[in-house]
Amino acid sequence: MPIHILSDAVASQIAAGEVVERPASVVKELLENSLDAGASKITILIQQAGKQLIEVSDNGTGIPAGEVSLAVTRHATSKLASAADLFAIRTLGFRGEALASIASVSRSTLTTRTQTEETGSRLVVDGGDGGRLEHLAYPIGTTVRVENLFSNVPARLKFLKTDATERQQVHSLVTRYALAYARVQFTLMDDGKTVLQTSGRGDRREVLASLYGVDTARQMLEVVFDDGEFTIEGFTSPLALTRSNRREMTFFINGRWVQDTALNAALVQAYSGLLMVGRFPISVLFIQLPPEEVDVNVHPAKAEVRFCNSDRVFSAVQRAVRRAVMAYSPIPAIPPQKLWGTAAAQTGVTSSQAAGLDWQFAHEGGISGEGQSPISQAAQQAASIPDSLPAGSLPLLRLIGQIGATYLVAEGPDGLYLIDQHAAHERVLFEKLMEQRSTEVIMQPLLQPVTVQLASHQAASLADSLDALNSLGFLVEEFGGNAFRVRALPAVFSSSDPETLLRAVIEDIEEDESPMQTEIEARIASRVCKRAAIKGGTVMAQEEQLALLRDLEKCQSPRTCPHGRPTMIHLSVDLLERQFGRRGSR
Amino acid sequence: MRLSIVNSLDSKILIFQGVIYFNFESILSIIIRQQFPPERSPTVKVTVSQQQLAHGLSLVSRAVAPRSTLPVLANILVATDEGRVRLSATNLELGISCWIGGQIAEEGAITVPARTLSDLVNTLPNDPVLLELNPKNQVLNVRCGTSITDIKGIDAQEYPPIPVPDLADGLELNVSDFKEMIQQVVFAVSTDEARPVLQGVQMSVNGTFITMAATDGYRVSVRKAELEHPAASPFSIIIPARALSELARIASDGDQKIVMVTPPGRGQVLFHLRDAELVSSLIEGNFPPYDKIIPTSFKTKTILSTAEFLKSCRQAEIIARDGNNIVRLDIQPAVEGAPGVVEISAQSEETGFSEIKLAANVEGPGLLIAFNVRFLREVLDVMKSPNIVLQTNANNTPGLLQQTGDDSFIHVIMPMHLG
Ligand SMILES: Nc1ncnc2c1ncn2[C@@H]1O[C@H](COP(=O)(O)OP(=O)(O)OP(=O)(O)O)[C@@H](O)[C@H]1O
Ligand SMILES: [Mg+2]
Repeated sequence: MPIHILSDAVASQIAAGEVVERPASVVKELLENSLDAGASKITILIQQAGKQLIEVSDNGTGIPAGEVSLAVTRHATSKLASAADLFAIRTLGFRGEALASIASVSRSTLTTRTQTEETGSRLVVDGGDGGRLEHLAYPIGTTVRVENLFSNVPARLKFLKTDATERQQVHSLVTRYALAYARVQFTLMDDGKTVLQTSGRGDRREVLASLYGVDTARQMLEVVFDDGEFTIEGFTSPLALTRSNRREMTFFINGRWVQDTALNAALVQAYSGLLMVGRFPISVLFIQLPPEEVDVNVHPAKAEVRFCNSDRVFSAVQRAVRRAVMAYSPIPAIPPQKLWGTAAAQTGVTSSQAAGLDWQFAHEGGISGEGQSPISQAAQQAASIPDSLPAGSLPLLRLIGQIGATYLVAEGPDGLYLIDQHAAHERVLFEKLMEQRSTEVIMQPLLQPVTVQLASHQAASLADSLDALNSLGFLVEEFGGNAFRVRALPAVFSSSDPETLLRAVIEDIEEDESPMQTEIEARIASRVCKRAAIKGGTVMAQEEQLALLRDLEKCQSPRTCPHGRPTMIHLSVDLLERQFGRRGSR
Repeated sequence: MRLSIVNSLDSKILIFQGVIYFNFESILSIIIRQQFPPERSPTVKVTVSQQQLAHGLSLVSRAVAPRSTLPVLANILVATDEGRVRLSATNLELGISCWIGGQIAEEGAITVPARTLSDLVNTLPNDPVLLELNPKNQVLNVRCGTSITDIKGIDAQEYPPIPVPDLADGLELNVSDFKEMIQQVVFAVSTDEARPVLQGVQMSVNGTFITMAATDGYRVSVRKAELEHPAASPFSIIIPARALSELARIASDGDQKIVMVTPPGRGQVLFHLRDAELVSSLIEGNFPPYDKIIPTSFKTKTILSTAEFLKSCRQAEIIARDGNNIVRLDIQPAVEGAPGVVEISAQSEETGFSEIKLAANVEGPGLLIAFNVRFLREVLDVMKSPNIVLQTNANNTPGLLQQTGDDSFIHVIMPMHLG
């Protein structure tokens, strides 16, 4: 075949492949256009996983009749005027490529009216060939109807996954945008069924419930962070709620859903030492930063971004999340009466009596709301979040006994508890030692000072906290540039490498934790391990079992051992009843 | 052959002759096989004494790498070697070999799992042990008394090559002197992996002078000695503390001489004894210049009984070890007939309080100074003279410990500071 220039139609199809590769990417582009047009209400319809039909209607600004055919032309956009604008993009669209691309691989119908026009206009484009502009009566806003997606590009059609997968992708995309834009009313209809409907009242937790279910949504911790320039909002999972993969980490940067492994890593880092190996958090985080701080023009489908100062973004994410997680765990003690109803509270019965409370109570007084939609249920629960967070402290437990010389079995008002005796004893010893720990500040000076070169942002945070640090037993001085000299370390840490220790402490400072807290905890945790925490396989007398249980109840964070592993498994009444088929799942 | 193993994000990568390999365990064994093409392995048939075999295995086992990705490193090489039986183990950083006498019926070599062989030999009666290899399936048959055991081995061809040193221009060291030198410095190395240089002992040789030094940043131990025969040219190397400790363990005084060789360009040091050999890779890097920080003049000179001082430190440590490890020395010169005294005290919020008074010969002004009690205990443990000298200036400048009447060993410790 001789070399020849591709026909326009083929060239557009190739370009389209970069922007739209599956139904969900069409939905994404159309949604973003509606959001850019300032819509407060967006309705999405799909049929046959979007292969037959995708329709997105909004009540946004609309497109003037004279510009409609331009809108579907490649590189036609109303959102960028000059190249300089590319460096401070405030809209989701900027390439003027989406509609043209979609139109080249489907039959698309654009219907629209602006506020100043009397009549609306409609344009049909079939596989890239535009028809004539029609005029018709139409409300203010825009509807884009995409039919027979990829029917003229069979190769791409072949690459689509099963319908179920493609639909799932659309659902999760729309839900995530609904979450990000909680003030916009979203409706998603799939083959005639409403699968998502949000109120547009701005309550994100409500949307979260439709993404992860009511239970999970209720447990998610709120993240708030604002350093004047960067803000982070959203939700992140408590330690007890994890996944075995990194898929449930969602990031929006300036309103745009992005996938970034480095952001994922920063998030996972925020949980370091707190989660078991191979477990990952669930998070939905909305990050706002000045538009000139981020380059969105790096990926054809805009799924990736580049930060000017990525370290700062990552450390903000880490700090924000770490703080949220720390604030809730150990979760402040909630007296058992408050959680488990009235009987114990009124009569002040003893622990074993209280623990013998009728298990019925847990569900009968529990979640109400028959006949309400799941979302309004969630909204109702969202309102009562602070009260119903899972308690860090334990309810009063009644000891049943020891099994396998390794676990204790106990009964609480809300079901059965299996307790790992070794992990539980570690927790008890850990908290005792943390309490007894010497507060005397002793310094171990070095024979020769060690010079440490820091990154500039670290140097800045260290310079700010020198006094605090030196009062803890360090002797660190500025040494010009971003260098510091370590002259002495706190005596307890004198077997650590000075540079490693200093860097660890700077991380604490940057994460807004009290400096050295993590290091001190780690040291004590390892001591607890070496010391005689009772091993699995040791038979314990009943008195010993009881004492361990009581000591554990007194702990601030009884549910995990100092290394973050669980000390206990809770089999709730609910779970037991469901497992025994006494009751359907709620 | 130039191999480097690089730790990448989550997998180990091997770079060999400029090519990057990912699955390096299998590659490594291929390389080794290529370099040493298998010949028909001859068989092994030897008889050795159970005691000698058990002793030899206990020496070389310390260099076995039980969890290596290269399975043959978990094995011990058993080979006939010029009328003796050689046992060798290596983890590629440290290698130990030892030779035991035996009756050799057939010459050959085999490697067998270290744990299996050692555990077995330790349970055998004190009788001759017959080791015989079946070359067809690489199984080593071990017979002793009425017991017969077959151990599955790996072909000796797969074992990393063992360097054959040229002992001609080696440095001769006296075993008992050298062991003492090692003992007096090796404890002062750092245990932190962040600074590899501090995990080693610096050895400098110039003419007939040899100096060994170790530091962890808070203390430095320096031991000098004189050699019988001068070195051909001066040199300075950093030897991993672990290798020296092992050397001190395997060198028995009966060996009398150690020959040390540093083959040029190999980054290794080899110590050759009569019946054993130890090879270690050297640590690269710059050893901190410790000379500058050793004070040359002092205000207060305190002489104490080594044993008494050591015992007091041990007692203080019982109280101090759960806290900050801090011990206070209140040095008081003699006043009007009352002799000088050092009051040693420790306090910990968790444990309690202790105080011991020691008679001392104090010259100069009194001083209250605090040290990490572990540092004191460790150096006193290796002081050989009945009395020691502690020299100090102030509570924030280094203190120096020495054996009385002896300049060959000095130990400097940075005091602790009460905030
Ligand atoms: N729903 C809508 N409401 C109002 N105007 C719209 C709508 N959809 C598209 N437009 C107009 O059509 C133009 C082209 O849209 P298109 O999505 O092709 O490009 P873009 O959004 O500017 O950039 P990008 O290719 O990055 O999405 C937009 O700039 C906008 O002016
Ligand atoms: Mg767009």
